[in-house]
Amino acid sequence: MNRQDFAVDRVLSHTLKFGAYTAFMLTVAGLALQLVAPWGVKVTTVGLLVLLATPVLRIIAACLQFLHERDFKYALVAFGVLAIVALAYVLGIQA
Amino acid sequence: MTLAAMLLLVAMGFGAGGFGALAGVGGGIIITPLLAIYFGLPMHQAIGVTLLCVIATSTATSSMYVERHVTDVRLGMTLELATTVGALIAALLAHHINRRTLAVLFVCFLLYSAGSMIKKAWDSRHAKRQEVIPDYTPQNYPVGLAASLIAGGFSGLLGIGGGPIKVPVMLLFMKVPLRVAAATSNFMIGVTAGTSAYVYWGRGDIRVDIAAPLVAGVFAGSLLGARISPKIRPVYILMLLVSIAGWLAAQMIYKLLTGGFQ
Repeated sequence: MNRQDFAVDRVLSHTLKFGAYTAFMLTVAGLALQLVAPWGVKVTTVGLLVLLATPVLRIIAACLQFLHERDFKYALVAFGVLAIVALAYVLGIQA
Repeated sequence: MTLAAMLLLVAMGFGAGGFGALAGVGGGIIITPLLAIYFGLPMHQAIGVTLLCVIATSTATSSMYVERHVTDVRLGMTLELATTVGALIAALLAHHINRRTLAVLFVCFLLYSAGSMIKKAWDSRHAKRQEVIPDYTPQNYPVGLAASLIAGGFSGLLGIGGGPIKVPVMLLFMKVPLRVAAATSNFMIGVTAGTSAYVYWGRGDIRVDIAAPLVAGVFAGSLLGARISPKIRPVYILMLLVSIAGWLAAQMIYKLLTGGFQ
């Protein structure tokens, strides 16, 4: 395994951190707002949607990074995972 | 929802996320039964909410493990091809399985997880910490993919991460070092749980009012837990989690025998 290749690790940890902290802050802010204003629940919902979107974001980030490294095998793997998740999203709407 | 209930959920999430990250296990396995037993949520809703908590733990902790290069990103994404398929199929099926059957399956997995935590605590008695990760090449991809399909299935069905299935298989069959296996399994969980969470969300089985305070607590707990986990021995936390899991399993069995979970 290619342990010297740390670029993808950096890209992914940034993506995950960005998603985690954004979702956390929106959710906490929404919960606090909810106590004083009813529309706070919308902020909370957006926080949870950011949380739900983060795994997808990190697949896309990985796919782009693999393409950038010309590692087509793993770019294809990432794309495959993305396709399955997209299918779940489509079926989820219809469910 | 009252402020007290909201704070209780935040505290529950903080405990599950924190202890889970400290002991290196997902907290999902204790959140579902807590919601089903003490908050009276139907199994499907308890599972839907837990899926969000599991994504939160995975995202928060794996950002750190990936940064420390413990996670094998390529191996993880390859196995995700199987976990997501399992999760999607199971999430679609879950709606057609009645609540009592789900509860029975959940109790079985709860007991299995408790067993694997006892084994983990036992093994960690004389384990020295691997500071440097030895070189390895993942072996036996077919076995790993098959186990991932099953783990993904359990994840979609029961809202858990499926670590107790994936980690031993990666360790024993794929010859991946334990720390890498645990971090990689944790990394995969976000995408796996995300896949089934879309189906649960679309169906309206994720209650925002319950999920939001829990997720906030889980985030805070697992971020803190993952930060201090290298400094502590997990034995006592594992034993605490085993006791909680045992107690919840007993409660669920009692509720099943007295005709609950309808």
